[in-house]
Amino acid sequence: MGSRQITEKSLSMLRSLPRISLSNLRDNPGSKKTSKRGRAQHGGDKHGAGNKGSGQRQNYMRLGYETGNNPFYLRVPQEHYYRGHHLRRQYPPLSLLQLQHIIDKDRVDINKPIDIASIVKTGTYNFYPDQKHFGINLTDEGIDIFKAKINIEVQWASEQVIAAIERNGGVITTAYYDPHSLYLLKNPKKFFESGQAIPRRMIPPPDAIEYYTNPENRGYLADPDKVSEERLKLAQKYGYQLPNIESDPEYSMFCERKDPRQIFFGLEPGWVVNLKDKFILKPKDEELLQYYSA
Amino acid sequence: MNLCVKTKVFRPQLIGSICHFATTSPESLEQNEQVLIDDSDEALAREAEIEKKRNISRLSAGHFNQINGRRPYELPQHLAHLTVKYNRKLYGKYGSASGVNPSLCWPSKKEIQEKLEYESVAFPFTIKEMMDAAAQKKREEQEVIEKREKDLAAKFAKVAIWKKELNDKLNKKVAEAQAAKEKKERLVEEVRRHFGFTLDPRDERFQEMLAKREKEQKKAEKMARKEAKEKQMLVKLQQKNAEISEGAKKS
Repeated sequence: MGSRQITEKSLSMLRSLPRISLSNLRDNPGSKKTSKRGRAQHGGDKHGAGNKGSGQRQNYMRLGYETGNNPFYLRVPQEHYYRGHHLRRQYPPLSLLQLQHIIDKDRVDINKPIDIASIVKTGTYNFYPDQKHFGINLTDEGIDIFKAKINIEVQWASEQVIAAIERNGGVITTAYYDPHSLYLLKNPKKFFESGQAIPRRMIPPPDAIEYYTNPENRGYLADPDKVSEERLKLAQKYGYQLPNIESDPEYSMFCERKDPRQIFFGLEPGWVVNLKDKFILKPKDEELLQYYSA
Repeated sequence: MNLCVKTKVFRPQLIGSICHFATTSPESLEQNEQVLIDDSDEALAREAEIEKKRNISRLSAGHFNQINGRRPYELPQHLAHLTVKYNRKLYGKYGSASGVNPSLCWPSKKEIQEKLEYESVAFPFTIKEMMDAAAQKKREEQEVIEKREKDLAAKFAKVAIWKKELNDKLNKKVAEAQAAKEKKERLVEEVRRHFGFTLDPRDERFQEMLAKREKEQKKAEKMARKEAKEKQMLVKLQQKNAEISEGAKKS
């Protein structure tokens, strides 16, 4: 049989061949490509850049340019719903799921009030005041598994998020910070090392005043009595029993709020923090006291 | 030559390294063992010389100070080193050891005045004023909406009547057109009957006859109207008479 002979022959050939080793291995043909450009008579013709035009000259046109046509991105000339978008306040989102993660991993202390400074310090949230970012928008993602009992201060929150936090016996406040205060909150150490007195927080602009004075949004300028009334109303609307925080052992912690002029918890405007020697300097001059309390 | 007595102090790192490598615990150091430390000028100078030789970092004096947690320069080296901002930074970074007067950290009277002026321009309204303005604006917007809704409701109430009126008008127009058409047809038919044969409506005779008929028709209509008027007058007169007679009876 011919095929058997072939098999025998090839097997004997194989047996006579040396074992595979590093010395007799080589790459597949064509698997390695030299990065060098040919320069001989025909190797150096076009080098893959093609013949004529922008390809050959490698003058890559700007994005969206259609060689003289009216570009696609300019064909619809105006979109009025974007008017003034570069001036609007932005609130980069932080979801309840992320917040739950932060709390579960013990990256934030829930036995103290949580504010934007403590959330930035966890390293899971970042924002840029110079890009019109005005703080945290707490969003409802992960609302069903949110179980923490916290006293939190954010800059924007929707109704269902407020309900989710209050249902667990927590407290939420929405507060406005001007961009300069946000720089301080983002990196307090940098500010303290600059050796300046802590400034006052500025009041919100006229178009934000409605949000931050509304007890429905738990605004920091709202009447506390109305806020507690709204807490009850929201509990009835969403159908949960509002936990009684007055009987809570940590009631004093849940009552802690910043003054509308205050930036850091526990630090008042006008104080100088000496990080090196670990003490605080407080002004005594009447004029300074008056300025910082105004 | 002044000599002073100090308790012997071991560097903690050294002790740590001993503990780490020793298989048996090191001999406990005898407390309060007294050693003599020479701090004459000569000795201090020698120490300084040794320290200087130990510093093989090749860093500039400023950098060397900085990495050792001291302010880089004691004397100002640059115009910027005379500014309040720089001195505040020195205080913030190196604390009291920087030797900066901490009263620099607060704004001066002039700066406070400037800040207050800035704030009066940047924030011209108080919170209360802004709240009132926002409420006023909201109320006005709501008023506009309400007014429009009211307007619409009033108009919508009349829609059925307006629809009826329009339909009546249209129907009347159609009916009139129909009546005129029928009248014309009747006339043409009459004329045709008069001649006893079908005559082309464009014929002169036909036209003549038509005109005549129309005239007659108009006359008849006029008469009919007149009669109707007279009848009405009669009815009115009778009514008046009846009223007068009734009045006479009553009295």
